[in-house]
Amino acid sequence: MASTTDTQVGAAPLQAAEEQLTLAGGRRGASYSRLLWGAAGIVLFLLGWEALAYLRDDPVILPTVQETARTYVDYLARRYPAAVGDTLWQHALVSVARIAAGWGVGVLLGIAVGGLMSSVPLLRHLIDPLIEITRPLPPLAFIPLFIVWFGIGETSKFLLILVGVVPIMIIATVAALDAVPRELEQAGRSLGGSPLRVLLTVRLRSALPSIITGMRLAMGGAWTSIVAVELIAATSGLGYLINNAGVNLQTPLVLSGIVTISILGIVFDTLLRLLQRAVDPTHR
Amino acid sequence: MSRAAIQVEPTAQAPGAVAIRGVRKGFAGRSRKSAGRLALDGFDLDVRAGEFLCLLGPSGCGKSTLLNMLAGFSAADAGEISVDGEQVRGPGPERGVLFQTPMLFPWLTTLDNVLYGPKARGAERGAARAEAQELLRVVGLESSSESYPHELSGGMRHRAAFARVLVNRPRLLLMDEPFGALDAITRVAMQRFLLQLWERDRMTVVFVTHDVEEAVLLGDRICVMSGTPGRTRAVFDVDLPRPRELELTDTVEFAHLKRQVREALEGSH
Repeated sequence: MASTTDTQVGAAPLQAAEEQLTLAGGRRGASYSRLLWGAAGIVLFLLGWEALAYLRDDPVILPTVQETARTYVDYLARRYPAAVGDTLWQHALVSVARIAAGWGVGVLLGIAVGGLMSSVPLLRHLIDPLIEITRPLPPLAFIPLFIVWFGIGETSKFLLILVGVVPIMIIATVAALDAVPRELEQAGRSLGGSPLRVLLTVRLRSALPSIITGMRLAMGGAWTSIVAVELIAATSGLGYLINNAGVNLQTPLVLSGIVTISILGIVFDTLLRLLQRAVDPTHR
Repeated sequence: MSRAAIQVEPTAQAPGAVAIRGVRKGFAGRSRKSAGRLALDGFDLDVRAGEFLCLLGPSGCGKSTLLNMLAGFSAADAGEISVDGEQVRGPGPERGVLFQTPMLFPWLTTLDNVLYGPKARGAERGAARAEAQELLRVVGLESSSESYPHELSGGMRHRAAFARVLVNRPRLLLMDEPFGALDAITRVAMQRFLLQLWERDRMTVVFVTHDVEEAVLLGDRICVMSGTPGRTRAVFDVDLPRPRELELTDTVEFAHLKRQVREALEGSH
């Protein structure tokens, strides 16, 4: 028994040293090889798609990769629906604007409510169960309600995105603020910081990296719900394009819309990740 | 860190004198049935201006509670705590606090950590910067002023925390087992560092520890506490010559005093 404990104790520093070595010497090499494998995975996926498309030989069920790419490039300049509609990029911009509004307001709202919940226990007890009740509900379930209450305009779409964003932001903010050590705030106060200054420059600042993680999750949630959002009497937007092209069996265009959402999702997540890096020196 | 480094004119204000009178502090019980616990009851203590006082006692004897009230993080249920005749009502930069871990702000560089206090007080920017850099030199971190806390070693982080507190020119320095989490070698280095710093500035220090040797090496006076509620068990004057070096721990006088203190501490369990 005693000897096993000894080896365990001895092994820990060794492991740490080894980890440090790999970090110092092999970090760049490891990330290159990871990138390479990731690219190989995507190529394999595309090859599989292509093979299936040829086997099936039915462009409505599964168009080939080239055909999808051609459609994508084509609709960058071509209007959908023909003549009266928007190009793929214009649809994308409409969706981005909807998400920016819903996500932006939702993030601010979530941080404000989460901040209040974290500092006022009564509010926390009051709101906590409400979040737990609404969190598992899919945004889709609110569509009929919102249409009855707010009509089929932008208000319903905006609120539907809020439903997906706000609970995530509240939970992330409360967790992030709770995790700030008391002593860190006490240090700020005893260094001469006023309560407000310490709240802003220590408590919130310390929670910021985790809050940005919440913002990334919420951004993902907002993009996931965009198709549902644009089911509501939309005439533009990527969700509308996907729905409508699907109804008309224009499978390559459906796939083009999906690819666009995926690209935009990656772009926004990358921006937020860069922001997170900028505010958190320990993650550089 | 070179020993010669710490020979600059003192930056501290006139040291503060602490008076603690009849302080009581209790904590609520977990449930309605279990009674609350009294951490301190009718506690009296005086710390002279410029004195290095060690609070020694087992965990749960109320020494950290006392320090928190001195810092102004919590209020006493009864009794009075004052520094230089002024009652403590909340945290303030004239009472510097060093925690068990350095509690540096991880998103700020070492220099910006040190500048947190001056900025919060609205000090003139250029002067504050010069002073902060000078203090970083004193604590041997001049080459790490642009590093972030996670890039520093444990001892360096503690020294940065010292600089961050000293830039406020505190009259009173409150330390809650500041070296408790360090390895033995760094701990000894930090004790030596603290002794040199105190020789330079001579501010009043209240130092909480549960290490007998540390208390005898550092303190002018040792207040041995016993719990619960915390009371003063015995007070020892440490009449060992200053400036003190680590070699002092090998002398007979040191060993003798250490035994007396330990016996008082063991009797208090």
